[in-house]
Amino acid sequence: MSGVRHLYLHLPFCSSRCGYCAFVVEVGGLDRRDDYADALLSELHLEGDVLGRLDTVYLGGGTPTLMRPRRLRRLLDAIRPRLAPGAEVTAEANPETVDGRQLEALVEAGVTRISLGVQSLQPHLLSALDRAATPDQARAAVACARAAGFASVSVDLLFGVPGQDPDDLHRDLEEVVGLRPDHVSWYELELKAGSALARCGVALPDEDAAADAYRTVVVGLEGAGYHWYETANFARRGHQCRHSLAYWGAADYLGLGVGAVSTVAGRRWRNAADLHAYVAALADGRAPRRSEEALDPDTARRERWMLGLRLDRPLALGWAGPPDHPEALPRLRELGLMEGGGAHEVRLSREGRFLQNAVLGELMEYA
Amino acid sequence: MQQSLIRNFCIIAHIDHGKSTLADRILQATHAIDEREMRDQVLDSMDLERERGITIKAQAVRVGYRASDGLHYQLNLIDTPGHVDFSYEVSRSLAACEGALLVVDASQGIEAQTLANTYLALESDLEIIPVLNKIDLPVADPDLHARAIADLIGENPADVLRVSAKTGDGVAEVLEAVVERVPPPSGDRSAPLRALIFDSVYDQYRGVVVFARVVDGELDRRSRLRAMQSGLALPAEEIGYLAPAMTPTERLSAGETGYVVTTLKSLGQLRVGDTLTLDDRPAHAPLPGYREVRPMVFCGLFPVDADRYPALRDALERLSLNDASLLWEPETSQALGFGFRCGFLGLLHMDIVRERLEREYDLDLLATTPNVEYAVTHTSGSVLAVRSPVDLPDPNHIEVIEEPYVRATILVPHDGVGAVMGLCQERRGAFVTMEAIEQRQQVVYDLPLAEIVLDFHDQLKSRTRGYASLDYEPVGNRAGPLVRLDILLAGDPVDALSTIVHRDMAHARGRDLVERLQKTIPRQLFEVPIQAAIGGRIVARETVKAKRKDVLAKCYGGDITRKRKLLERQKEGKKRMKQVGGVEVPQEAFLSVLQIGDGGS
Repeated sequence: MSGVRHLYLHLPFCSSRCGYCAFVVEVGGLDRRDDYADALLSELHLEGDVLGRLDTVYLGGGTPTLMRPRRLRRLLDAIRPRLAPGAEVTAEANPETVDGRQLEALVEAGVTRISLGVQSLQPHLLSALDRAATPDQARAAVACARAAGFASVSVDLLFGVPGQDPDDLHRDLEEVVGLRPDHVSWYELELKAGSALARCGVALPDEDAAADAYRTVVVGLEGAGYHWYETANFARRGHQCRHSLAYWGAADYLGLGVGAVSTVAGRRWRNAADLHAYVAALADGRAPRRSEEALDPDTARRERWMLGLRLDRPLALGWAGPPDHPEALPRLRELGLMEGGGAHEVRLSREGRFLQNAVLGELMEYA
Repeated sequence: MQQSLIRNFCIIAHIDHGKSTLADRILQATHAIDEREMRDQVLDSMDLERERGITIKAQAVRVGYRASDGLHYQLNLIDTPGHVDFSYEVSRSLAACEGALLVVDASQGIEAQTLANTYLALESDLEIIPVLNKIDLPVADPDLHARAIADLIGENPADVLRVSAKTGDGVAEVLEAVVERVPPPSGDRSAPLRALIFDSVYDQYRGVVVFARVVDGELDRRSRLRAMQSGLALPAEEIGYLAPAMTPTERLSAGETGYVVTTLKSLGQLRVGDTLTLDDRPAHAPLPGYREVRPMVFCGLFPVDADRYPALRDALERLSLNDASLLWEPETSQALGFGFRCGFLGLLHMDIVRERLEREYDLDLLATTPNVEYAVTHTSGSVLAVRSPVDLPDPNHIEVIEEPYVRATILVPHDGVGAVMGLCQERRGAFVTMEAIEQRQQVVYDLPLAEIVLDFHDQLKSRTRGYASLDYEPVGNRAGPLVRLDILLAGDPVDALSTIVHRDMAHARGRDLVERLQKTIPRQLFEVPIQAAIGGRIVARETVKAKRKDVLAKCYGGDITRKRKLLERQKEGKKRMKQVGGVEVPQEAFLSVLQIGDGGS
């Protein structure tokens, strides 16, 4: 048993909450950062037994860079002995929170990959999203990240933002390609319950407009040499995000921090979202309050399908297990939504990738 | 009790004019129930009735009343159904009475149904005591409405009682008027038993309970009873009266009303209007007025989940125990699978049955467009009763199609007459008469029942801002150029969406229907053409575009469970749809056929 090879650290501090955000974040409370780092290390100590050689580490948030390089280094120092050679260590960052020195410090601390939350390069869309960064700060951050020497630089963007017309999207696309990131995550904006945008009741674009935008993004990035390797992710050769691939491959992972989720050996648990309770519990050397879910074999099989079909590579039936409704396969092929694949694997056609949920709905029960 | 001390009466009122509240007050004033037991609308015991503010099943409540003349009277308050679907039941309830309280809202005035029931009461020679209710309302206009009521029944406006059932004001006067004005019953106590069945219910613990008015003779606990029209033997277990709780007694004599608990396990052949007599000493002739009730409106009921078919059958069986007018037979639809074609007295009856099936039996149902029964003469000369559009023979084999017509009486304020006549014309109505009644016009049209069973009533209400009221009675069948309008989804006809319509309206309905369906059917994995066809000829077409995007934007370690649950919910939604030839059709699509031509498109 080689142990869990993927580690996630949740760093919840943010200077403000963005309009579309429903993550576990802690606005302000910066004086708790040292306590929080202690708590993370304490949780790592508690749960560390399940870890094997770590292939990937992901520092997500929140705004991880608000922890400052000093604390991040402390965390990474504790993890370093567990890293496998060539491990991928990603940190998320907001463009306005980083400068060249800090980014260099992150590289020195062992971060190999940076994921910058750009979202858009159009001022009116950034303000619609309550993003603090200006387009210039975003451009500068990408340049600094390059200069700092990360092995991989990724940017996050959004489509389907209220007020984003096709021209805005084309401009974003053009500019992003011009910044030459190694990796792009381009998500459709979701209205999550609990976010300010959802509360103020803005309308998202209709299906056709969203479909047009999505296709624009896919075609535009592919044309610039990026590989559409996952529903919302694009990469130059050799720059796919290995940590995310572990999720989509239904690998086990350990998540540390407030609100973090872990899945290990058919058991999934989520730490409670209360930062103070989390810190207090771990200060006493106790595990924080958690909710747990046992993944029975059928649930796990359906998750492998849900996750596996996100990727452009074929889904191996030997690994994923059979679909609940294999009789739907010929019809889906006939409709041009699935293609190729032998008896042992299935794959979505290009068109099918835009309709992944509907295809899953035909194949799987999700009861 | 001596007949001279008995009064049998009912209350005639429009929905919401206060019948139930007045009944409650009468129970209170006669101490039939105490304050502690008082809850609103005691007599409307079923939840459904309570919510809809209507009364389906008549009951008879006996109360004792010491009148101002010092004598102790037995008052039997017989409840009557309040909707046009149940006019036969109303007429039987009226036949069990000698008098009626005509209750009219002092702010609203007379409505069409009240008028219809008042005519029924006058025909049955009932003494009518007019009562204006809700005089406490600031908008009440008692003088105006008192004159109108007096006109209607040929009385002096001064004799119209004025009450507020809400505050109890005037209720004592009502009871005095019942004693003074309603004649006592005058049956022959020594004659062979004749008792009018005016209602019956099935109780799961007690079996069939019959409510009856003894007209002649005596009904004894030991009597061996028989229903004269059906020939059905009715072994009695207990007789008694409602006070309002069931109160057993030794006998009921001519003039009294009460109940008989029988050992029957189903209403089966038992019919309201039948005459109870003694097996060993039968009466010469049954009481007059008996009629076989025939269903007027039909629709297919299908379980959304095909596995629930047996449950639907059981539920219909159980409902039938208590509803002799509900007709049902198995039906198979290509689109909807196994279900039942059901017959109802009218639209309200249909709604009530459907709601009870869904609520009391936890069924998820799809109902097809309601239709009437067509008499189709085949070219061979045989006549077919067609209760479902799919049973309509090939047009080449049809000599003539006849459809049931009704005479609709609509009461509407003067400024609404145009709207009403417009609606009646659109719905193929033939004008009969019009006259002024009170401050309103009474507009009479002969209309195809098929036009009424769709959304006529809703349309009438919306086009007259709720001021029009409707009553109708069958006037026989009439021939017409009728055709079947078929709907095709992805090229295949969907039998459950077929309707029979007038040839001149078929194109417009077809267009309207495909537009509605286009809006209700969600986008699928492929493009779905929706077509309307008459005899194989396409008359309208719309298209539901294929889905172009359906993905979960993000899915990482932290939200795998949440996204999986999202898919589970999506799957749940899918299950509520009906698979029709590979197309997922939501239940609302079948309902959309109902809402024709309201300009919603």
